[in-house]
Amino acid sequence: MNSSVENNISEKKDFVVSSSSLKDVRSFSREVFSKVNLNQDLKDELVLAIAEAAQNIVKHAYQNQETDDKMEIKISLDNGELEIGFFDKGRPVDNSNVRHRKIDDVKPGGLGTFFIKQIMDAVVFKEGEKPWINHLILTKKINY
Amino acid sequence: MSYKITEENNISIVHLDGEIDMDVTEKAKEVIMPLIEAKKEVHLNLKDVQYMDSSGISVLIESHQKATELGTKVVLKDISKSVLKVIMMAKLEQILNLG
Repeated sequence: MNSSVENNISEKKDFVVSSSSLKDVRSFSREVFSKVNLNQDLKDELVLAIAEAAQNIVKHAYQNQETDDKMEIKISLDNGELEIGFFDKGRPVDNSNVRHRKIDDVKPGGLGTFFIKQIMDAVVFKEGEKPWINHLILTKKINY
Repeated sequence: MSYKITEENNISIVHLDGEIDMDVTEKAKEVIMPLIEAKKEVHLNLKDVQYMDSSGISVLIESHQKATELGTKVVLKDISKSVLKVIMMAKLEQILNLG
C-alpha cells in the first residue's frame, strides 16, 4: 500500500460563513480526501455533500446575511466510519423544518438536502456545545 | 466561473467554464436570462464546468422553465461527466434538454 495514503484521519478547519468560502470548503475537503484510499467518484460525492451542508449554513442558519462568524468543519475517518461535523453559531436549526423537496416536484431549491441524504448514510442535527449553536453530523460507512 | 457567448444560426451558445456554486449563480443568471427573455434558443456548453452544486442545478431548472414559458428552449451541450452525474442525481435527465 502507498505509505502516503491513510485510512484514519481527523482534520478540521474554520471558514467565514459566506458563499465566497464555499470554494475553500471544497479545497479543504479535496485535500483531506486526497490522503485517504477512496475511489474518485465517492470523493467527488463527499465533497458535494460537504459543500451543500456548508451552503445550508450560509442560506438557512445565517439567511444569507453578512457576518464575521465562522463555521467549523471536521472530517474524521476511523476504521471505515466517516463522520463529518459542521458547527455554526447561526439561527438554531429546527430539525422538523429540515426537509428536501419532493424529487418529482421540479423547482429550484431544496436540492442540497436531497443530495446530502442521497450521498450520506445519516444526517443528524444536534444542539451545539458552547460556543456553537448548531452541530450537524453526517456519517457514512466506507467499504474499501 | 467565466463565460463566452457566441451566436450561430440565431442560437446563442453560452460556454461556461469553472465551478458553478451559490457564489456565482447570480452572475450565471445575469448571463443566461437576458438571452432567454429575448426569446432566443440558448445552448449551454458545459464541457468545461468541473463542478456544479444544487445552486447551479437551480439555474438550469429556472432557465429551462423560463424558456418553456416564453416558447423557446435551453439545450445543455457537451455536459462534463461531473455535471451529468449531478443532473442524474437530481433525476433531471428526462426533464432538462440534454443535447
